[in-house]
Amino acid sequence: MKKITNRAISVLLLAILVIVGMLGYVLRYVDHGKDWALTFSRANSGSTGALIDRSGVVLASFSATENRFAEDEKTRIANYHVTGDFWDRTGSGLLTSYWKDLQGFSLLTGTTLAKDTVLKLNVDAGLNTKAYSALDGRKGAVLVVNYKTGELLSMVSSPSVDPADPDYLPQEGAYINRCLSASFVPGSVFKLITAAAAIENIPNIDERSYYCYGYTTIAGVDIICSGCHYSQTFEQALSNSCNVAFAKIAISLGQDTLASYVRQFGFLDPHELDGIPTAAGNFPLEFIGDPELGWAGIGQSTDMICPYSLLRFVSAVANDGILVEPKLINDGEEPVRSRYLETNTAQRLQKMMNYNVVNHYEGEYRFPGLKLCAKTGTAELGDGTSHAWFTGFLLDDAHPYAFVVFVEQGGGGLTVAGSLANTVLQYAIRNT
Amino acid sequence: MGFTASMMIASRIVMILLSLTIMVRCLRSMLRERYEPEVWAYLRTGRATLPITHWENILGRSRSADLRLDLPGVSRVHAVLSRSDRGVWTIYDIFSRGGVWVNGQRIGADGAELESGDVINLAGHNMRFQDTDQSKRERLEAARTSVGRRISPSLTLLELTVFQIFLLMQHAFSAAPEQLPDIALSFALLIILEWSCYNAMRIIGRSGFEVETLAFYLTTLGFSVAASSTPGDLYKQILLTIAAVLLFLLNGWWLRNLHRTAVMRIPIGLTALALLAVNVVFSDAVLGARNWLEFGGYSFQPSELVKVAYVYVGASTLDRLYRRRNLISFIAFSAICVVALALIGDFGTALIFFVTFLVISFMRSGSIATVFLAVAGAGMAGVMAVSVKPYIAQRFASWGHVWEDMYNTGYQQTRAMSAAASGGLFGKGAGAGWLKDIFAANTDMVFAMVCEELGLIIALCMVLAVLILAFFAVRSARQGRSSYYAIAACASMSMLLVQLSLNVFGSLDLLPFTGVTFPFVSRGGSSLIACWMMMAFIKGADTRKDASFAVRPGERMPNEEKEERA
Repeated sequence: MKKITNRAISVLLLAILVIVGMLGYVLRYVDHGKDWALTFSRANSGSTGALIDRSGVVLASFSATENRFAEDEKTRIANYHVTGDFWDRTGSGLLTSYWKDLQGFSLLTGTTLAKDTVLKLNVDAGLNTKAYSALDGRKGAVLVVNYKTGELLSMVSSPSVDPADPDYLPQEGAYINRCLSASFVPGSVFKLITAAAAIENIPNIDERSYYCYGYTTIAGVDIICSGCHYSQTFEQALSNSCNVAFAKIAISLGQDTLASYVRQFGFLDPHELDGIPTAAGNFPLEFIGDPELGWAGIGQSTDMICPYSLLRFVSAVANDGILVEPKLINDGEEPVRSRYLETNTAQRLQKMMNYNVVNHYEGEYRFPGLKLCAKTGTAELGDGTSHAWFTGFLLDDAHPYAFVVFVEQGGGGLTVAGSLANTVLQYAIRNT
Repeated sequence: MGFTASMMIASRIVMILLSLTIMVRCLRSMLRERYEPEVWAYLRTGRATLPITHWENILGRSRSADLRLDLPGVSRVHAVLSRSDRGVWTIYDIFSRGGVWVNGQRIGADGAELESGDVINLAGHNMRFQDTDQSKRERLEAARTSVGRRISPSLTLLELTVFQIFLLMQHAFSAAPEQLPDIALSFALLIILEWSCYNAMRIIGRSGFEVETLAFYLTTLGFSVAASSTPGDLYKQILLTIAAVLLFLLNGWWLRNLHRTAVMRIPIGLTALALLAVNVVFSDAVLGARNWLEFGGYSFQPSELVKVAYVYVGASTLDRLYRRRNLISFIAFSAICVVALALIGDFGTALIFFVTFLVISFMRSGSIATVFLAVAGAGMAGVMAVSVKPYIAQRFASWGHVWEDMYNTGYQQTRAMSAAASGGLFGKGAGAGWLKDIFAANTDMVFAMVCEELGLIIALCMVLAVLILAFFAVRSARQGRSSYYAIAACASMSMLLVQLSLNVFGSLDLLPFTGVTFPFVSRGGSSLIACWMMMAFIKGADTRKDASFAVRPGERMPNEEKEERA
């Protein structure tokens, strides 16, 4: 008997495994219980809370019985990509990424009622509404950030959705946030990146001159320019948005150098904006040869960038090379600052972008009263259409705003995106 | 805070305190109280008088011998001395080198019956066998510790009853009004059932009721789960529980007679195989596993009843174990069961059988090599199963990262974990959860459902109840009369432990999700019946003084028996 019963230890072994497993669960519960519970357990919580914009406009609110959005239909629709919804239809939006922070949880009592949790946003709902109506049904994106504080004042993606209307028939692609969740062919706005690399890598760049006959032939392949710019300096080449000059600059930088700048500026990686993931971009990393590198250096080839990545770039340039990470939420925390590019490079780019506006974009006429630095982009899609881009910033201590305006298949950068930017910025400096 | 809300919170706290006291009382009574062996006879050697404390004893030089005879010429395992139900003692020579003589007559492996006063000679050493008579046994029994003197079983059961009343009260607040009569009636019947069972034990003079109390505690949680998720089926649940308790009593009564039990092994084994065969041929597929049979609107799972049969077949008396050393017929039986379950597609249950097989074969053979061999073999079979059945491979693939795929392969586990965490330590109140509406919440994710509605503490008590039963089975095994009871009790508990682990850890993503039931608590009549029947094996091993109805008391004297026969 003893011989047999001594072997009953095998049952104790199983019992010990059960105990170890239970301890493992309890530890994991302590660690992750909140995340677990609040992912699905809304039904047993009667929490109440709201999302309000920077001036107190309620964009979304909820209680145990009711989910509400902004009263005004236009405000609701224009701000939809900021708020998201209670049903996670977009997969992005603050209601999704901040849901857990709007609910109560404690390890002792599990989910608890969180009363009147208010999430204050940096966003200006009125600015969003203005930008959305300026987009006027076209597909596109508008981003405006205060580059000194990181406050994201505007994030609009068109077309959008009315979350309060159950019968709303959204246009195709309305659930995609074009600011964060998609990448597009950048066209000439990419020349800012090539220019930044050139400033740091090509000695005496300002003493060089670039000659343009309207096209150039590289290894038997023509690179066509938008015009015939003849002899021009580096600065003039950027304001002319000269393809010939920038293709040559890209080739003299080399593919590896240019790619390393694209990577260093974060264009290739996804980022996170208050818990909302953003789209990665693309730049050819496999060897492509000089002609294709020429195209890649002017934002064509297989280049793709996410508007949000471009916003980070222009906002760092505006802020003398220091990037203040944008935030939708005003949580009272210090913004994250980091060195993004050299101060000298940033200041050089500021000057060149201001030269663009003053000398080429009819600044006084198109952008009255704005101390604007900018770059246009008209990204050829190969089917006769083109994306219109306009990005830059105001060198204005009272209104230190950086922006990206993008109209999908919108046409010319300056005429389409530029005038949209003017509408948004004029509203912004008067109302924020 | 309103009156109702305060009452709800108070009732939750009371329920937790009651659960904890029930656990502590059972734990103390079952694991902390003195548990002296029964003394059946004596062996007087020249130097000492050795008490014989089991019905089956190994005589030998080995440290693990029950009667240790450290004498020259005595083999490590020399002889088996065993007592039948009727009180007849037999000694068997277990292939010893020195041989065994009784009153000068050499005996073999067929054994020889002993009378009190007989002289046994092992390898040249004489010793005298002395049986106990009735009065001596009564005196010995009187000296043993009674169960329930210090920790009253009726008080523990009363606490359980109060727990049930509070639970019912919580359900009364959350249930739909038209379901209320069903819920109240079934809880009332459950309370009547447990007290009838308790009083029946008192009438036949049995005072150990902890195993039943723990089983009723778990059954109560099962009622709560049913009342939340499928209140319309509660009448079925109470009928099944009554049937389960009756079968538990029947099985316990059956186990009192070791001879009868041992003889029935083969018919029971064959019946089990027939059930599985019927299952393999006729069953309908339900979500990959075809483990259901339908009879006029009632479905049942043959594999659950086969679990009980498996314990019957797997356990063995000591003399048989030593006379026929091989495990081949048992291995063959186990292999058929596991393969049949694999064919049905019930891999969770196949795994339960397999681990139980390991425990039984280790207890029977003591060979770790065999266990390793079996594990290696099963490992290979498992790899094949995973490669053949895509849905199993999928479960393995999602194991450990269910949160990355919470709308597809991780659907159930993530819901279970979320609901479980949302309950905190005290729960959201019986019937007030949301997990109950998710498919299989009341079976595969029942731990999470209890966490959500009754809180983590009660859910842990639910696991603790099974652990206490397991520790008690091991403790009782040491004092068991026959190795049959010891092995049966341990095998039952390993079965329940594995089942519990797969259920709980599967739903919490600590193990792959296999979809087996939590003992007693998960919905499912066959499972409930099987669990209750297995409790009889624990009762069979419980030899504390006047504790268990499954252990026959006050044996008649061998002499009387013989006179009767004459």
